[in-house]
Amino acid sequence: MSTVLETTTLLAQVGMGRIQGGWEYIWAAYGIAWASLSLYALSLWIRRPIKASRDTKE
Amino acid sequence: MSGLMNAVLQYGSAAAALVVVGLGIRLGRKWAPVDSQMDARPMLVGMSVAALVLLAVGGWLGLVWSPQDREMGDVYRIIYVHVPAMWMAMLTLVLNFACCVSYLLKANWKTDALAEASAEVGLLFGGFGLVLGAIWGRPTWGVYWDWDPRLTAMAIMLVTYTAYMALRRFVEDPDKRAVWSSVVGIISFANLPIVWFSVKWWRSLHQVQSTPKTVDPEMALSLRVNAWAFLILLTLFLLHRYRIALATREAEVALPDALPPDAPASRDGNSTEVA
Repeated sequence: MSTVLETTTLLAQVGMGRIQGGWEYIWAAYGIAWASLSLYALSLWIRRPIKASRDTKE
Repeated sequence: MSGLMNAVLQYGSAAAALVVVGLGIRLGRKWAPVDSQMDARPMLVGMSVAALVLLAVGGWLGLVWSPQDREMGDVYRIIYVHVPAMWMAMLTLVLNFACCVSYLLKANWKTDALAEASAEVGLLFGGFGLVLGAIWGRPTWGVYWDWDPRLTAMAIMLVTYTAYMALRRFVEDPDKRAVWSSVVGIISFANLPIVWFSVKWWRSLHQVQSTPKTVDPEMALSLRVNAWAFLILLTLFLLHRYRIALATREAEVALPDALPPDAPASRDGNSTEVA
């Protein structure tokens, strides 16, 4: 029922010649992009090689 | 926007890309080896700040400054993160292919390490780029996913590079791992031209490639700024990941020395020196 309603709403929007709204999709996309980049940067930081073992006193 | 402004942007973009790639190559040679004495912190911090500033400016341009699309309204704004992500994925996977071929022609652990780094970073950009495309598809096509040639080819490519990374984790012998993964990398790359040209070969649901030349001139600046930000981030990610791969390889080479001399698993002395 909700799918039918969504499709009807979408068709009504397209019928106006231009998709209206849709900011929730935009924010979701930007959020996923920024989160992916941030989390990967964090993973690189966690995995960074530690030079300490080479420099420690024998 | 005037033709002059577009020309300035075009040449400026090319120059900026060359500078970033040049910096990346320099840091990859001088700073990435674990025993490097180079203090690259100012350069790395500078690049990180530049990337974050460009990302913020690109976000503002894409979300606020750029005009609506004639048919897609506001939802087309996903283009400013989806398209640069896909460009970066393709760039890194081309680099991966070059490294795989190079390794098979002349074995070098630095090439193998760069192949590993480029595959992982390419998978990151390709992975979230595909998700962004699916999100964009819902309000424009009415579905998140369709077995369209472009989407299918891209999904297959991500699966093959996931297999490439899995292979690298499962094979313990560094020599075999490097050779086998190079072969898999070359086979995986065969799909990349199909991904790129699929929208021209089979005119289906996905639109043709979006570039500063195919989008409206009012939208080109936002696309370029986001692409610059992603390129700097890509370079930084590759550098750090390459450094991790080199350190891991160095630790593997050093491992036999840590074992007792009579250990059965001790290597037979044919471990290749880190080039």
